[in-house]
Amino acid sequence: MRIPYDVENFPLGKGPMVMLVLFLISCFFIFAPAEEKGESIEFWIFANTHYEEYQARVPIFEAQHPEVNVQLINYGGTMHDKLLTALLSDFGAPDVVEVEITSIGRFLKGAIDEVGFVDLRPRLENEGWMDKLVVSRFTPWSYRGKIFGIPHDLHPVVLLYRDDLFKAAGVEMTEIETWDDFIAAGKKVSRDLDGDGEIDQYAIVLDNKTESDYFNLLLQRGGGFFDVDGNVVIDDDIAIETLAFFTSLFNEHEIATPVYGTWHGDPSNFAAMQDGKILSVLAPDWYVGILKSQVPQMAGKWKAIGMPAWEVGGRRTTTRGGTMIGITKQCKNPDLAWELLKFAYFDKAGLINRYETTRIIPPLKDAWDAPIYKEPDAYLGGQPLGDLFIRLAPDLPPRYQNPYWSEAADLLNDAIFNAVTEKQTPRQALTELAEKVRSIIAKDQERWGEGIIDEFKTE
Amino acid sequence: MNSKRNRFSLWNQQQKIAPYLFIAPFYILFIVFMGYPLISSLVMSFYEMRGFQSRIFVGISNFTDLFRDPIFWKSLWNTTYFALGTLILQLPIALLLAILLNSKFVKGKNFLRLAFFAPVLVAGVFVAIIFNLIFDQRAGLINNEFILFGKEIGWLSEGKYVMPAVILTGVWQWAGFNMIYFLAGLQGIRQELYEAAAVDGANWWQSFVHITLPSLRPVIAFVVVVSMIGSFQLFDLPYILTNGGEPADAGSTIVMYLYKNGFQFMRLGYAATIGWVLFIIIAIISIVQLKLLGIFREE
Repeated sequence: MRIPYDVENFPLGKGPMVMLVLFLISCFFIFAPAEEKGESIEFWIFANTHYEEYQARVPIFEAQHPEVNVQLINYGGTMHDKLLTALLSDFGAPDVVEVEITSIGRFLKGAIDEVGFVDLRPRLENEGWMDKLVVSRFTPWSYRGKIFGIPHDLHPVVLLYRDDLFKAAGVEMTEIETWDDFIAAGKKVSRDLDGDGEIDQYAIVLDNKTESDYFNLLLQRGGGFFDVDGNVVIDDDIAIETLAFFTSLFNEHEIATPVYGTWHGDPSNFAAMQDGKILSVLAPDWYVGILKSQVPQMAGKWKAIGMPAWEVGGRRTTTRGGTMIGITKQCKNPDLAWELLKFAYFDKAGLINRYETTRIIPPLKDAWDAPIYKEPDAYLGGQPLGDLFIRLAPDLPPRYQNPYWSEAADLLNDAIFNAVTEKQTPRQALTELAEKVRSIIAKDQERWGEGIIDEFKTE
Repeated sequence: MNSKRNRFSLWNQQQKIAPYLFIAPFYILFIVFMGYPLISSLVMSFYEMRGFQSRIFVGISNFTDLFRDPIFWKSLWNTTYFALGTLILQLPIALLLAILLNSKFVKGKNFLRLAFFAPVLVAGVFVAIIFNLIFDQRAGLINNEFILFGKEIGWLSEGKYVMPAVILTGVWQWAGFNMIYFLAGLQGIRQELYEAAAVDGANWWQSFVHITLPSLRPVIAFVVVVSMIGSFQLFDLPYILTNGGEPADAGSTIVMYLYKNGFQFMRLGYAATIGWVLFIIIAIISIVQLKLLGIFREE
């Protein structure tokens, strides 16, 4: 075909003409209307394991609701930033979204009516779901009386330990009841293996650079960063004593080693576990799933007990991590989205499938009687791990959510590191931290005018 | 009659209008994606968000807060430290590699050029993950293969070693890239100059100082300025390598602190303020460098 125009005489030559043509073509693709098939639900996910689960499960939902087309989008780690931008600009947010527990705080800033998620409390109450779920797991997703998400998980924490190596040192871990017992046992196994005068086998690995393990202990003991009313309580006696205890495991008792690499899931940490340098770890259910997939060769070497308690008969678990599913206010059909939420989080067949791949225990109490949770787990030498998690689950501590969690956690990381490395005493570190966070909140309240204090109630 | 003449003259004008129409897409995109955000971020730096839909005018208090914020100063120092590391370590290494690859006695130049250049093709996130393994205190390659200074170095767990670790990673990733610029510059120097100098009895060092360096001045100026701008915008490498700046903000940089404020703390006004202060810092440093390197000098 001959182009009905003299290419050589096109103003400014061939280059601009090519650019113009490309510009017009891309305009067509950008503005061309997308093909619509009945109702469509856009569902954003940040975790690969969840994405794989929903990829397999969504076709079942679509078969039950033939008019619906669910678009699953896995944005990985950047999803929360994209969601924030979409909610800020009032445009482009998904209908349904999963949000991670350390990220939800920032979405709760400002006036309660401006929060970008639909309050699910009326639906949960009207349909009688509240009694069927572990109520303490709503605290991370609740704010000022509204519930913005359904909990995906419980994430109870157990003490996962090297049965073979503790037994070799003459320690029977199933007899451990309290942290004092654990310290005594830990001193028997923490020792120098290669004769260079430095300890290289430690009873436990703890993260001294981030809040994770300290917060595990603090929640177990009934403390927290914020209380139910949103007050900063990180400088109360429980918090200071817990940090003093945490640092003593490294410095005074020398039974804890800082995590190898940046966090518990680093390959170098797994290597240290295989070399027998780490004998135990505070493990949430999902962490057991990670170990199973990343170091399958360690099958049979691990066993689990509830965490050592602070006093005899005390709480033997804590909670670490978590995900919610919610409906954004930009959703066009919340009723349909609600059906998807229930399908994703309350369907028993789906929950069993989830446990099989990720070891995650659901907050839906009805589902706990499924035989799979009582099955012996080969990775733990035949111990039925699900059964242990379910026995601990009713005792989970609440973890109160707060819009200032991100700022608080960032500063808490520094405080813990300074205390463990003895740059500050635990009291100094936490008092200073509490003052900083209080002044950040006070400054906002001052700026935003009166009435904010009263609006901070979670329940 | 009148309208017909107008149409006719517009038709005549098309030769004059056409160029502007062709450059219009760029300017439209520039205004939408650069100009507007630039202005609105400047405006934003005088406000602070109150949740998702309202904001409050705070005057210059974002700026005064920033100058009293110890984490900002720490991030600024870390970033400057990295920039100095780039200037003192990375660029001389790049120049040295370029000179070696430009010399006659090196074999397999094409392969070496590709090998040194290749790291820049690797995404920063992967580089950070790889170097995380290399710098690991107990299991890492560096501490296992070379016990430096008689003890294991906590590259990523002790504050004072964190930025050196980031600088070393930066050298690995970027030295080969900058080497290509220097190599191009070296190949542009006329060979007769060296021959003439040799006839006059100049040794290698004299030719390097009096011929190579002055001839490379525009290339050096370009590489230094671009590297400094890149250094001050450092983000992904330390963000992954140090797990968001740990321990105790030892790996925090200005852009990382901007990101945390904007996206994690939802303090968009404060983040915009950091962005503008960073812009001013980069502008001043670039102008000073260009002046020192004599780019504004009349030849």
